[in-house]
Amino acid sequence: MISILLLVFLLQVAIHLLNTFGAQTVNELLWTLYTKLPTPQSKDAAQSSKLRADVVRLNRDMRAVSAQDDFAKWARLRREHDKAKEKYDKQSADLQSFRTNFDRIVGFLRWGGTQGLQFVCNFWFSGHAMFWLPQGWVPYPAEWVLSFPRAPLGSISINVWTMACASVIALVSEATRATWALREGKVVEGPNKGEKIRMEGMSGGAGGGGNEKKEL
Amino acid sequence: MAEEGDMVSSLQPILDQKSLKWIFVGGKGGVGKTTTSCSLAVQMAKARKSVLLISTDPAHNLSDAFGMKFGKDARPVTGVEGLAAMEIDPNGSINDLISAGGDDAQEAMQGLGGVGSMFQDMAFSIPGVDEAMSFAEVLKQVKGMEYELIIFDTAPTGHTLRFLQFPSVLEKALEKLSALSNQFGGMINNLVAARGGLPNGQSFDDVLKKMEDLRNTIGDVNKQFKNPDLTTFIPVMIPEFLSLYETERMIQELGNYEIDTHAIVVNQLLFPKKDNPCEQCNARRKMQKKYLEQIDDLYGEDFNVVKMPLLVNEVRGVDSITKFSEMLVKPYEAPE
Repeated sequence: MISILLLVFLLQVAIHLLNTFGAQTVNELLWTLYTKLPTPQSKDAAQSSKLRADVVRLNRDMRAVSAQDDFAKWARLRREHDKAKEKYDKQSADLQSFRTNFDRIVGFLRWGGTQGLQFVCNFWFSGHAMFWLPQGWVPYPAEWVLSFPRAPLGSISINVWTMACASVIALVSEATRATWALREGKVVEGPNKGEKIRMEGMSGGAGGGGNEKKEL
Repeated sequence: MAEEGDMVSSLQPILDQKSLKWIFVGGKGGVGKTTTSCSLAVQMAKARKSVLLISTDPAHNLSDAFGMKFGKDARPVTGVEGLAAMEIDPNGSINDLISAGGDDAQEAMQGLGGVGSMFQDMAFSIPGVDEAMSFAEVLKQVKGMEYELIIFDTAPTGHTLRFLQFPSVLEKALEKLSALSNQFGGMINNLVAARGGLPNGQSFDDVLKKMEDLRNTIGDVNKQFKNPDLTTFIPVMIPEFLSLYETERMIQELGNYEIDTHAIVVNQLLFPKKDNPCEQCNARRKMQKKYLEQIDDLYGEDFNVVKMPLLVNEVRGVDSITKFSEMLVKPYEAPE
């Protein structure tokens, strides 16, 4: 049995990662994996993307032919295009409805595996001590808070441990990102992505960055 | 159905198709639909016992074409045996139908308060339902009359397709209405009873029953329209880009509605003589030739493509139409 301390920490890591990358990205990733596996939907998805390619190709062909000068050819292409488009629309609608179900199930499992599990743990282990503080380290009010809500006095409760894990993970993550940004010398995420970081004393680099920006 | 493989360029196969009961003639405005449908009607009248020509174009041209006045009732065309014609207005809205019940009905509708106006709202909110209603009226009339063949001279393209959609539209609308009445029938009946009933001692159930009848009629007609042995659609076009484009679109849509079409009339062809000095005529002939080639390429295999010349005089009056109509059957020989 995995230690409850470690479990809570890992759960918090998972929640943090999910929040950072976004649930949509995770769904997207899982969907890609799912359609790569030999499932009935993987065939549909492959067919759907093939049909889409067909529609795009036919559309391009149709544009290449002048309707005025070569109506017969154009009309035939158009018939083919309309047929392919109809087929594609139907197929993609089918796939889309499955995808909605898939997303819902994945979302449910994701929630159950992270937040839900966290809730259950918090409830289940609320009366347990995560670990004990040496006696007399902190005054009584602090001890009371640290054991909130139901852990024995003088111990750390699971809720407090959860919060501590979350804070540390957030700090570490922030630090990692900041370090990365500093190493790259430019903003690595958000709306200003790619912009150079300008700092005092970086006269050469900052000047270069300024010029580049003007060129853009 | 027309013979496979050998598509002659005349409407003779349609004349020979004795099982046909409905023929629709349609196309963009100004391509000669009315002239074509009148000519077809004249030819058909020779081959069948009785033919009815109905114009659903709001701009009624039948009267102009034949040079006599037609109205909402079928009237025989003088000079053509076995041919009758009538003009109906597809825009005749449901208002007419309501006001046909007289002020009594109007008052009753208002008397019903919320329910009455709900019905009116519903009737107006379903697209095409007012036109469908007038269409249904016509169908009821036509069903009572014993014509061997009925030819529709339809309104310009967009309109035509809507007109052909009506049966499905009305069926859907009535289905909704029946479902609604099954749910709320009792309540509506109570309301009506509380207001002293509908005019003329009708009950709500009677009204619903009438609608049900209408639905059955329409469903029946819909089935007939989708039967290629009973119904065909003849697009009329001129050899110009837009007309060709619309026709192609129309043929595809007709395919979606499962309505048979296997004959096309290409109208207003120019046949200038070889040594013609008219520059415009020759240039236009060249353009028409280009599109004619495309038409033959695209439709030649599956359609009877009938080529009609542009005449020097207007095609008006029975004699003129009769003469013109012969070219539908015997392909026009261009002078050298």
